[in-house]
Amino acid sequence: MAAMSCLALVFAIVLAACGTPDSRPATVEVVALEILAPSCGQVQCHSTTTNQSGYAFDTLAAAKVSLRSLVGTGGGDRHSLLEVLTSTGDKRMPPDAPLDDDDIALVEAWIHAGAQGL
Amino acid sequence: MRVLAIVVAALAAVSCPRPAAAYPQYQLSSDKTCTSCHLAPDGGGILTENGVNTAEATAWHPGDGNFMYGMAKPSWLELGGDVRGAAGYVNSGVSAAAGYPMQAEVAASAHWNGFSLHATGGLRRPQEDGSALHALWSREHYLMWQSRPDDHEGLYVRVGRLMPTFGLRLAEHVVYTQRYGGEPLYGEVYALAASYVTEAFEVHASGFVHDPIASAQEHGDGGALYAELRLGDHAAIGAEAKYAASDDAHRTYGGMTGKLYLPGPAVLVLAEAEVIHESFVPGGDRVTQLAGYALASHPLGGGFLLDLGAGHFTEDTRVQGLFRDCLDANLHWFQTSHVEWLLTTRLELLDLGSHQSGGYVLAQIHYRL
Repeated sequence: MAAMSCLALVFAIVLAACGTPDSRPATVEVVALEILAPSCGQVQCHSTTTNQSGYAFDTLAAAKVSLRSLVGTGGGDRHSLLEVLTSTGDKRMPPDAPLDDDDIALVEAWIHAGAQGL
Repeated sequence: MRVLAIVVAALAAVSCPRPAAAYPQYQLSSDKTCTSCHLAPDGGGILTENGVNTAEATAWHPGDGNFMYGMAKPSWLELGGDVRGAAGYVNSGVSAAAGYPMQAEVAASAHWNGFSLHATGGLRRPQEDGSALHALWSREHYLMWQSRPDDHEGLYVRVGRLMPTFGLRLAEHVVYTQRYGGEPLYGEVYALAASYVTEAFEVHASGFVHDPIASAQEHGDGGALYAELRLGDHAAIGAEAKYAASDDAHRTYGGMTGKLYLPGPAVLVLAEAEVIHESFVPGGDRVTQLAGYALASHPLGGGFLLDLGAGHFTEDTRVQGLFRDCLDANLHWFQTSHVEWLLTTRLELLDLGSHQSGGYVLAQIHYRL
């Protein structure tokens, strides 16, 4: 067990040092499936099951519908998604765990590129 | 105490459920299998007679640990239920007070010879602007056959709505290996599952399809495997694999578990490490993720149990520094065999604290019917 714990620690440290600066494609698939689904699309929050505040992010189809109204292509405020992700007040989302700066930057880049894919 | 049960249940009627899972912190300290304490082959849910005895032995002032303090019921019927709620502070970059109604569920198991019919149902968070009936649902319902119904070993076959057996099954759904690692909250599916459980080893295999009606957290169809080999009286290693394909992504999970009980200091260490590979169907992007969690538990006497945990999650191995770690400390107090108080705390560090950090301090009450 001690060996397993050490192995896991080494594994984590090595991988933390690996990788490159964010080269992920700023696509709706990455935004919806890699970033928003695990952080915002939990079943008790913005899922197709509960649809809190009228938004769902647990599937790509549901996320596209929600994002259309959040980033402007559906008539919403272009910056409303970024505002809740970076708010310093009680509107901050997600409320239970912080979102990584790299993820927020990728969402911002996708929006500034015209929110392609919706 | 029955009055307290009714009051708590009534308060929870306006809440939503989060299911209670098992307490593997007890495994290996006295019993080796989940079936020693639970009816289900992978733990969680209704307790066996030995499970009730363990609850009584663990509590500060145990009382009668049976369902509703020994309420009369037919011999062919087993009943259970859980009510949970939590309140405290969370920090996701901004501190805020928070309250979480978590669970209000009852469970029943009717058995005849080797067959049994299980159902767990209750309340979940209602759909906004939807029917109030949406809040009522059955999280689990399945038919089970077991080869040795009067024993805790043997073959178990289940068909119905259940959680595929996969990795460690801790009560706290925020554990990284559960939240990100293929066993999320409400991850139940319709499955055909077989389990072979002995003192020496256990093997679980499930084939499943997602629930198209209740729209649970798992949207894919696939299969799950888990095998655990006991090494002597106080250690075990396990291997796990899961595949799920949905319209959005194909996800493959693989990992290992380890369990070690140290009788001297009475410490149980649980650990799980996973590699997750996602292939997004639209766009074709491929992502590899890593999730790990280790937990050490120690009973302090007087009904107290202390857990110290550490977790790691790499969101995307292609990106330098895109990971999070957490340190957890949980203090359980089993006041009676039905009432558990829990102080749960987490410090969460993104990129080892170079960017944001977060966490929570929550007080939780759990009432087992």
